[in-house]
Amino acid sequence: MAVIEVTDLRKRYADLTVLDGVSLSVEEGEIFGILGPNGTGKTTTVECVEGLRRPDGGSIKVLGLDPVKDGRRLREQIGVQLQHTQLPENIKVWEALDLYASFYANPRAWRELLEEWGLADKRNARFGKLSGGQKQRLFIALALVGNPRVAFLDELTTGLDPQARRTTWELIKRVRASGVTVVLVSHFMDEVEELCDRVAVFDHGRVVALDTPAGLVDGIDAEHQMRFTLMAGDMVELGGLPGVTGVTRTGNRVVVTGRGDFATVVTAELARHHVLVSDLRIDKRTLDDAFVALTGRSFDSTH
Amino acid sequence: MTKLTIVELKLLTREPGAIFSLLIPLFILVVFGSSIEPGDTVLLPMALAIAVGLVGLYMLPTTMATYRERGILRRLSTTPVRPANLLVVQLLLQLVLALVACGLLLAVGGAVLGAHLPTRVLPGVLTFLLGTAAMFAVGLLIAALAPNGRAANGFGVLLFFPMSYLAGLIQPTDQMPDIVARIGEYTPLGAFRQSLRDVWAGGAPSPLLLGVMAAYAVIVSIAAARFFRWE
Repeated sequence: MAVIEVTDLRKRYADLTVLDGVSLSVEEGEIFGILGPNGTGKTTTVECVEGLRRPDGGSIKVLGLDPVKDGRRLREQIGVQLQHTQLPENIKVWEALDLYASFYANPRAWRELLEEWGLADKRNARFGKLSGGQKQRLFIALALVGNPRVAFLDELTTGLDPQARRTTWELIKRVRASGVTVVLVSHFMDEVEELCDRVAVFDHGRVVALDTPAGLVDGIDAEHQMRFTLMAGDMVELGGLPGVTGVTRTGNRVVVTGRGDFATVVTAELARHHVLVSDLRIDKRTLDDAFVALTGRSFDSTH
Repeated sequence: MTKLTIVELKLLTREPGAIFSLLIPLFILVVFGSSIEPGDTVLLPMALAIAVGLVGLYMLPTTMATYRERGILRRLSTTPVRPANLLVVQLLLQLVLALVACGLLLAVGGAVLGAHLPTRVLPGVLTFLLGTAAMFAVGLLIAALAPNGRAANGFGVLLFFPMSYLAGLIQPTDQMPDIVARIGEYTPLGAFRQSLRDVWAGGAPSPLLLGVMAAYAVIVSIAAARFFRWE
């Protein structure tokens, strides 16, 4: 069942088109990734879905509700972690959770959340004294304290060290396991690859692809390479095999270039002719490659 | 709403600025109060005007602009609670802070220093409410226009001194150039102090000055609401 249904969403600011017909649907219980560089409309889309912004056109249904018309009822059932928000310096961890719990009709027991998110020994600490990772965990706990059916997490691990990011990822998987649908806005490929069941790739205010991370990677038709060293047997002709676009040989080192699943074809051909190779390496295609293939530009150069 | 008020009250008591708003006018009162004659009618109105001015120009805008700057209002708008609730709670608490500051001044000034306390309550209360409303309106306008908490703080301090001067809080009005004193009387803080003087002198504050304060309160609040941004 789709918990979020976005159809042909449009939004303009003055003469700048921010959303140019965004459509997507999020299924119950999945972690849905929204991936794209800054300024491609992902945050605006999420803000329209949360009811923070009013779209110019298109339709949105979240849990069967219209975010503009049924905003209050919707906000009872969603939890949001926003980018660039803070709490007052002097609020204590437990006070923040207790306060936000009081905003909802059926909140979760915030003491459980303290335990779950490793904040129990910080319950009396003031927000201003927390580390980046602790603040981030508190924000996620605050997004969950209303017992939401859908949680929106925006740039959740920005500014965290690698260890803290890993820990956060494990906790997000636990959120999904508890039955909460998660919408994750991110510009980190590794994060999306690790966590998301499905991903919408944004570019120029549109969704240019929507698939599983593996599906996105498989779907790209970019050239990549396999390399190996000849051990025994005579080299066979590989140039004519399906998908292979080039073969170069330097001594015993061979580099084969191709598209699609050519590596399987090549290894089968080598085995059939009893050619033994070592150091076989196939360049792993990543979501980065998929992004370049989809948008025609490198991800890192865009932000 | 109750919990929001309790938490905001706790936060206010942890704010060093709140303590200063209580202590600075009290300090002025005590320092100058040691040399007043019993039944003095000048010093207490001045101290009260300073206290309300500090809360309105300094505490209120800084807190509100900081809340917007830190995205707290925006974060609240994603919950079932309206962010306007937070602003209402803040206004009420700042009003309580101004009341506490003035109560403290009246207690110390009246009981310890032997300054005059007005016998008629109603004109005093009316003057306090209108003066506080005018000063809070100015504070709200600062909060609306300042890009962040630090700027709001700066604007507040920057406005406080000229407004205090015009109100005759830095130099007595009879030593000021006539024209400046006349203008000063129609500034929010000046009208407030002059009305308090009238109350202390045993008379009723001039309806004109009460009207001036009410006009500031309404017009400046409308301007503040017009320019206020939630994010």
